Amino acid sequence: MSEDNGPAILIRGAHKRYKPIVGAPQRDAVRGVDISVAHGTIHGLLGPNGAGKTTTIKMLLGLVRPTGGEFRILGEDSTRPGGRRRVGFMPEQPYFPQHLRAAQALRLYAQLAGVPRDEITPRTTALMERVGLQGREKTTLDAFSRGMLQRLGIAQALINEPEVVVLDEPASGLDPVGQRDVRNLMLELRDAGVTVLLSSHQLSEVEAVCDDVTIMNAGRVAAEGDLDALLNVEGRTSIRVRGLDGGLPAPVAGLAGDVAVTGGISVFSVADEAVRAVIDAVDDAGGRVVSVTPVRDSLEDYFARLLAATAEGGEDR
Amino acid sequence: MMTRIWPIALAVVTDSLRRKVVYVVLVFAAVLAMAIPSLPSYGLGIEDAVYREVALALSFVTALVLTLSLAANRVPSEVERRTVYNVLAKGVSRGEYLVGSWLGVLIVTGGAIAAFTGVQQVIALARYGDPMWRLWQGALAVWLEMGVLSAFAVAISAVAGPVVVVTAALAVLFVGHSRSTLIGGEGALALRPFYPSLDTFNIVNPVAHGTGVPALYVLSMLVVFVGFVAIALSAAVWLFGRRDL
Repeated sequence: MSEDNGPAILIRGAHKRYKPIVGAPQRDAVRGVDISVAHGTIHGLLGPNGAGKTTTIKMLLGLVRPTGGEFRILGEDSTRPGGRRRVGFMPEQPYFPQHLRAAQALRLYAQLAGVPRDEITPRTTALMERVGLQGREKTTLDAFSRGMLQRLGIAQALINEPEVVVLDEPASGLDPVGQRDVRNLMLELRDAGVTVLLSSHQLSEVEAVCDDVTIMNAGRVAAEGDLDALLNVEGRTSIRVRGLDGGLPAPVAGLAGDVAVTGGISVFSVADEAVRAVIDAVDDAGGRVVSVTPVRDSLEDYFARLLAATAEGGEDR
Repeated sequence: MMTRIWPIALAVVTDSLRRKVVYVVLVFAAVLAMAIPSLPSYGLGIEDAVYREVALALSFVTALVLTLSLAANRVPSEVERRTVYNVLAKGVSRGEYLVGSWLGVLIVTGGAIAAFTGVQQVIALARYGDPMWRLWQGALAVWLEMGVLSAFAVAISAVAGPVVVVTAALAVLFVGHSRSTLIGGEGALALRPFYPSLDTFNIVNPVAHGTGVPALYVLSMLVVFVGFVAIALSAAVWLFGRRDL
C-alpha cells in the first residue's frame, strides 16, 4: 500500500472549459471541484446527467485535459501516465477489441499494466472466476452480452491489483444478482484496503456501500461528506412500536409525525427531546418499543431536494 | 517503454488478421500477379524486366490499400468505441499508444508485402526459371514508404476521421512524388533540399531494369524512413496529446 499520508485521491480546483472553434459560446463543464478520498474508503460521486462527474473522472485519469486544477492519486500527478500505474479504471459501458478472447483481453491489459509475466495467467484465471466469467476464457468478446462485458470491465480494472479503483457506473447493465456481486466486490476491495471512487446513478448502490459522497450538479460540488451526516435529519428520531392495536396513545399522537402503520408495527418520528416521554407513554399504553434510531432521509429524497434547491439558487443568480 | 508498445502492436496485428480486407486484397493481388506474364508487351525480349516492373507496381498498390485501410481507421475507431480508455488508464502514454498502433500496422503491411513478394518469386521461377531475388529490394522500398505513409496517417487520424485521413495520406503521397513537377523550375531549385520527397523509395528502375541498388543506398533509405517517421509520429503525439477523449 501507499506510504504517503495524504488522501488516496485528491482533486483540487478542477476546472474544464470547452472552447468551440468558432461560433458557440464557451462552456464550463466543471468549475472549481474539490474532492478528497481517504485511503481504504468507498467514495460515491453522484449527480444528474451533465453534472460533470465523468469529465471530472476523465481529467483525473488524463483522458481529458484539465483547464485548471490539481489531480493526484496516491500523491502522484495522475494526469501523467506514471501517476496511473497503481490505479484500476472501469469506464462506463466498457468496450474491448471484439476479436480478442476474454483471457487474451485480460492478458493484454495485464501486459500494459506491467504485471510480471509469470503472474499473468494465475491472475487472469482468478479474476475471471471472481467476476463470474469462469469457463468463458476462450469466448471471443463479440459473443459477450453487455453484462458479461461489464464483468470483464471490472476484471481488467483489477488485473494490476490496484491500490485505487475508479468505477464509472459498474452495475449498469447487470441483473440484480450481478449488481449484488458488484456491491460485494466493492466491499471486499475496501476490506482489503483498496480505495474506491464510485460514480453511479444507482442511489441504492451508493447508499449501500459508500462511506462518503460528493454530489455534483451543473459542474460544481453541491454537497459532500459522510453519508450518515448528510442523510440524518437533524433533531428528529424515528421510533418503531409493536402492540398498539388501538392506535397511538393521545400523548404520543400529539408529538408524532410521519406516522405509518404496517402489520401491527407503528413507525413515527418525534423531536429528539420528546423521545423519553414518548417511550414512557408507549410503555404505559401496553406497547413495546422495537427500535429507536435517528430519522434518516433516503438518498433519493435528499438527492432530489438538493438538486431542486441548487436549481432555485441558480435561477436566483 | 517497449513492454507497453509491443503488446499494443501485437493487438493491432491480431485485430488486422481478423479483417477480411487483408486477405481479399492479397488474393486479388496474387491473381493479378499470375496474369502478368499474359500481358501483350511480352515478346519484345524484355519479359523479365516488365514482369519485375509490374510486380513492384502491384506490390505498391496492394500495400497502399492495406496501409490506408488499417491506419486510417485505427485510432478514430478506438476513440469512438472507447477501447482506448482501458489502455491509457493503465499508465500507457498517448505516445506509446500511437507508436504501438503504427508499429502494428507496419508489421501487418510488412507481412503482406513479404507474402506477396514470395508469391511473385514463385511465379517468376515457374515462368522464367529465375527467382528474381532483386524483387526483395523493391519490396523493402515499398514497405518503408508505406511505413512513412502510415505514420502520417496515424498523425492525421489523431484529430480527424477516416475519410480525411485517406484523402490527406493520398495527398502526401502525391506531393511526395511530385518534387520535379512542383519545384523543377530553376527559380525554385533552392527549395529542393527542404522538399519532403518520397522519391528515395522509388527504386523501380534499378530493380526492374538494372542490377538493383547498392547496400549504401538501402541504408540511406532507412535513414530517410526513420527521419520521416520520427517527424510524423512526433506530430501525432503532439496532436493526440492535446485532444480530449
